[in-house]
Amino acid sequence: MTLTWLGRGALYLCALGALAGVVDQGRALKRQRPGHALHFAVAALVGIVLATLVMQYALVTHNFSLAYVAENNATFTPLLYSITGMWSALEGSLLLWVLLQSALIVAVTWYYRRQRDDAIVQWASLVLFGVQAFFTLLMVGPADPFLRNAARVVQGAGPNALLQDNPLVAAHPPLLYAGFVGFSVPFAFALAMLITGRVHEHWPLEQRRWSVLAWGALSVGIVLGAWWSYQVLGWGGFWGWDPVENAALLPWLTATAYVHSVIVQDRRGLFRVWNLSLAVATFALTVLGTFFTRSGVLVSVHAFSSSTLGPLLIGFFLFVVALGAGLLAWRGDRLRAPVGVDHPLSREGLFVANNIIFVGFAIVVLLGTVFPLLYQAINGSQVTVGTPYFASIAAPLAVVLLALMAVAPLVSWRSADPAVLWGRLRTSAWVALGVVVVLLIAHVTRYPELVAVFLAVMAAGAALRTLRGVLVSARRRGSWRGALRAPSTGGMVVHVGVVVLALGIVTSTTYAKRHEVTLASGQVTVVDGQRVGFYGFTHVRSALLSATELKVRVDGRALLPAVTTYHGRNGQTVGTPAIDSTFLRDVYVTFDAVGGTGSASGAQIQSQLPAGSVVLGVTVEPLLAWLWIGGVMVGAGAALSFFRRRHVEEAP
Amino acid sequence: MKRSVLAVSLAVLVVVTAMSLLLATRHPITNATETQSPLLGRLAPSLKGPELGGGSFSLARERGQIVVVNFWASWCGPCRVEAPELSTFAWHERHHRVQLVGVVFNDSLAAAMAFAQRYGSLYPSLVDPGGVFANRYGVTSPPTTFVIDRHGRVAATLIGPTSARQLEAVVARVRS
Repeated sequence: MTLTWLGRGALYLCALGALAGVVDQGRALKRQRPGHALHFAVAALVGIVLATLVMQYALVTHNFSLAYVAENNATFTPLLYSITGMWSALEGSLLLWVLLQSALIVAVTWYYRRQRDDAIVQWASLVLFGVQAFFTLLMVGPADPFLRNAARVVQGAGPNALLQDNPLVAAHPPLLYAGFVGFSVPFAFALAMLITGRVHEHWPLEQRRWSVLAWGALSVGIVLGAWWSYQVLGWGGFWGWDPVENAALLPWLTATAYVHSVIVQDRRGLFRVWNLSLAVATFALTVLGTFFTRSGVLVSVHAFSSSTLGPLLIGFFLFVVALGAGLLAWRGDRLRAPVGVDHPLSREGLFVANNIIFVGFAIVVLLGTVFPLLYQAINGSQVTVGTPYFASIAAPLAVVLLALMAVAPLVSWRSADPAVLWGRLRTSAWVALGVVVVLLIAHVTRYPELVAVFLAVMAAGAALRTLRGVLVSARRRGSWRGALRAPSTGGMVVHVGVVVLALGIVTSTTYAKRHEVTLASGQVTVVDGQRVGFYGFTHVRSALLSATELKVRVDGRALLPAVTTYHGRNGQTVGTPAIDSTFLRDVYVTFDAVGGTGSASGAQIQSQLPAGSVVLGVTVEPLLAWLWIGGVMVGAGAALSFFRRRHVEEAP
Repeated sequence: MKRSVLAVSLAVLVVVTAMSLLLATRHPITNATETQSPLLGRLAPSLKGPELGGGSFSLARERGQIVVVNFWASWCGPCRVEAPELSTFAWHERHHRVQLVGVVFNDSLAAAMAFAQRYGSLYPSLVDPGGVFANRYGVTSPPTTFVIDRHGRVAATLIGPTSARQLEAVVARVRS
């Protein structure tokens, strides 16, 4: 009882802080004097921190007087999964969401505290408080995390079995949310710039800093999600074009376009209105993504999070788009840059190509995600849009993007001289050709792979050349910290990361080989050059689950954690794959069937096989580990880009 | 080129509005799993008692109709997802000799009343103090739904949150 009221009280404080912030900024704007944004932001943050503490206390102590705890926790849930239980269902996820949003608003209002009399900062704070108020009011109203549970619950249900199986649950959702929440800042400032009509100052580049932070969190969050599904779901893949995956990808695509085209505005003063539209679109897509995840209208692996908030979220999405599009329609034409791109073969010309591809791809993904609903509304029958549709578009676009990455960083602004450009490209082109020849000699003959490798090496070459330039000028000045903060360092580190990631994806998917082997206990077989041996079962019983582990060795190394099947508490049988991973290849082992007539392992039974033998799915995927390494590099590059220094023309 | 931002913004707004309306009118896809229960094909255990908010219900009186029995609780998250769907189903089937009845599972009366009011439930619910009905039907966790045919036999058992669409399909199968 007390917990309910403590939690709700804290939420009311947060909601009041946000609403008062809106009113205060409105009054400050009207009277043209500084407001008290930071005070209200801190008040709201205190409220949401208290609410989070109440929820965490209830989860960690297994206090079932809260309905949320009774549904998502059990007496035997380990500490880590008790803590992460906060975001294993809708109401608690909103808590985390608003917590991150509130912290961000405090950071923004503190960062701009000396400009709090500037109308742009005031409008932006007003928008941010509005967003915060919306999500907080969702919890005050329809999605109350502190709903009381009247019934006596002895044990509790525990989180969904899939959500208490891998520690990544502690990192993947918070990073995604941080990314989603982070895009509210460029959105708020974009609206502020549209309202005040001041698009030509330093604000757009200022916003790039916040966008890059959100972009980095979202990128790493997406890669971690891929890693999680690779480790847990047992189909050997890492990306399935699931609606919820697309929901995270959509804002990522427009944000990637945005962080590129803002540079053009900084250097050449172009794309003003376009950048504002991208900022609005990115935030709108995060709201739409939340709707896809939370409304349950689409079939998805994330279906555990469905709720009744659908109409509210889609209403908020429409409101955001209407506000942005309305403001753009009102003054967009007057704010446009007076000049255009001089020459297609120039840095800005290639940035246009980049933007067309990213935004076009976002539209294609959105269409594919919504199409089943459209089809059903018109025809009444079900249809699924699957990997073939998305992959057939993603693959050629990825090739063009790699080509752009190979050329664009080396092209001059305004217009490029082909001879100079070739001089810059020459070395990496020859190296790339050399690599392709070596691969051909090594009997790698699939041409998509060869094209990808050629372009990837050139793209890496372009990035490394730029980085070398940065290092050379840093050595001249004797400042290594300056090199880290140079304008292009972060971006080029991201490019190298993307190249590594792309090579990992292309190689592991092109050359993945899947085999099914039947092994009796003690038997060893060679699959694709890998020695796979099976050495019997271990049964594990705990309060949490009853599981069967398989003792499997790959190249003499025992697989840890083992291939497992277990019965969750709701009668679900869940199988977990095991992976032997090196820098060269991953061996991915799944438990497909068991011989004999009866088994407690929960796996499919094949009675024609002798009892005690197993059917293992063994997939060998070369270079897959580089996907995750590339992801880490992308995150590091984004962090560097956050601390980036503004570009200043150097004296010759 | 003049005024092109205006035209494009308005066009985008129209498209997005249409898409939002489409999305806002979709129903959640919730799929309960049909399970093999020992009750399948047998006469449904008796259900007779007071309803939430007055009145009384008796399963025997409904013989000749298809009866859908849904065990729910106010503290159960999936039940909240399912509640509007059940009302939709009850409304669609109100003239087709189908009766939907809820059974309150392990809940306080006040909380159950508040829940039914909040979701504007269009069907009666039996109170079940002591879990007598839940025991007879072998329900361990809500939501669980039973479909009982015209002869009073259990024809289907659904575990987890169901949807109007799914229930309509099951009822159509039971009817034929």
